[in-house]
Amino acid sequence: MKLSTVWLRGLWDQNPGLIQLLGLCPLLAVSNTVDNAIGLGLATLFVLVMSNASISLIRHLVDEAIRLPAFVLVIAALTTSAELLIQAFDYPLYQSLGIFLPLIVTNCLILGRAEALARQEPLLISTMDGIAQGLGFFLVLVSLGAIREWVSDTLILAALPPGAFIALGMLIAIHQVIQKTLNRFRPKTQLSSKERRVRTTGDIS
Amino acid sequence: MTFRLALFGLIASAFVGIIYVITEPMIIESKEKARIERLYSLAKPLLTDGKIGNPVYKVLATDAPVSLINPLPVTPIDNDQLQIGAVIPFRAVEGYSGTIKLLLALDLEQRIVGVRAIDHKETPGLGDKIDTQKTDWILQFNGLRYEDLSPTAWAVTKDGGQFDSFTGATITPRAVVDALAETLGYFKTHPQVLEGGK
Repeated sequence: MKLSTVWLRGLWDQNPGLIQLLGLCPLLAVSNTVDNAIGLGLATLFVLVMSNASISLIRHLVDEAIRLPAFVLVIAALTTSAELLIQAFDYPLYQSLGIFLPLIVTNCLILGRAEALARQEPLLISTMDGIAQGLGFFLVLVSLGAIREWVSDTLILAALPPGAFIALGMLIAIHQVIQKTLNRFRPKTQLSSKERRVRTTGDIS
Repeated sequence: MTFRLALFGLIASAFVGIIYVITEPMIIESKEKARIERLYSLAKPLLTDGKIGNPVYKVLATDAPVSLINPLPVTPIDNDQLQIGAVIPFRAVEGYSGTIKLLLALDLEQRIVGVRAIDHKETPGLGDKIDTQKTDWILQFNGLRYEDLSPTAWAVTKDGGQFDSFTGATITPRAVVDALAETLGYFKTHPQVLEGGK
């Protein structure tokens, strides 16, 4: 797999927030301010990069039977470490993120990348994929935070939970419009059936 | 394979253990720093010649209002010789979305030095205006003593009092004003609760 493909996938083609729709719980809950979004985005990025790298390193040591528990073990250890580090360096951020920091363990994006990619790709590709997917998630989270914080001055709805859904829906729509426009100029690429499975929005068939 | 999984578990726990040992002193320090900073912004006028003491836990009698937790942690502010004020946590249980936790700083004459909402789940854009990050509403209590106003004036305007409530959200400011009045009234009759031992 080429590195450019990995980057393009994480940031655009299979963006975790806009296409795969993974990790929606923190994405919607913590995007009420830019500060919170940046904090959780960076924490998720850290855990994702480290878990992709470690899982890639141990990929030859695990078989079917212990794969899932081993991955969850790695992710849980990394999340706990991230939690401790944030407490040590930015205590107010730790307080405002609350339960969503330990909940990174259950972020489907992280286990998803471990299962879909890191368990069969070498270290470099896996780490890059972690950075790309993590950045893709980070950017969507921060954009949502910025939009909601900006609009909530005039429209209170934006700061409330429904506002998160509406704003995310609009971001997904914008992504689709841009993608449709790009497709006109880009030769149709043949997607393998394995890749199609990842998509949740857009052309599913 | 079971052995391998156990080994992974051991390595993962060792990893977390190392991080924990390294960060533990830093976490204690930053927790203390966050506490001091919060107290500092609240009781600034008292701190020009006073410093924050260690909290004293006061066991209250059964006539204490619901706005005070029991035992009550009273943080004294002392200058070199004597106590010049105190910081006390209180709570407004009638908040729109659960209990609102607040901090109150009083000087020796039980004049309000500062009030802050430190933890609440009030509606963003409506009830959260009690937060100093949103509006200065809660600063209007500064400088007031309980006896400066008649008991009926210690209420929001909608209830015939003198404190403004926000459009669209009466419950939140009502909860805060009522809890504050209840707390101040209690300290008026029980001034010994505020003594920090000096």
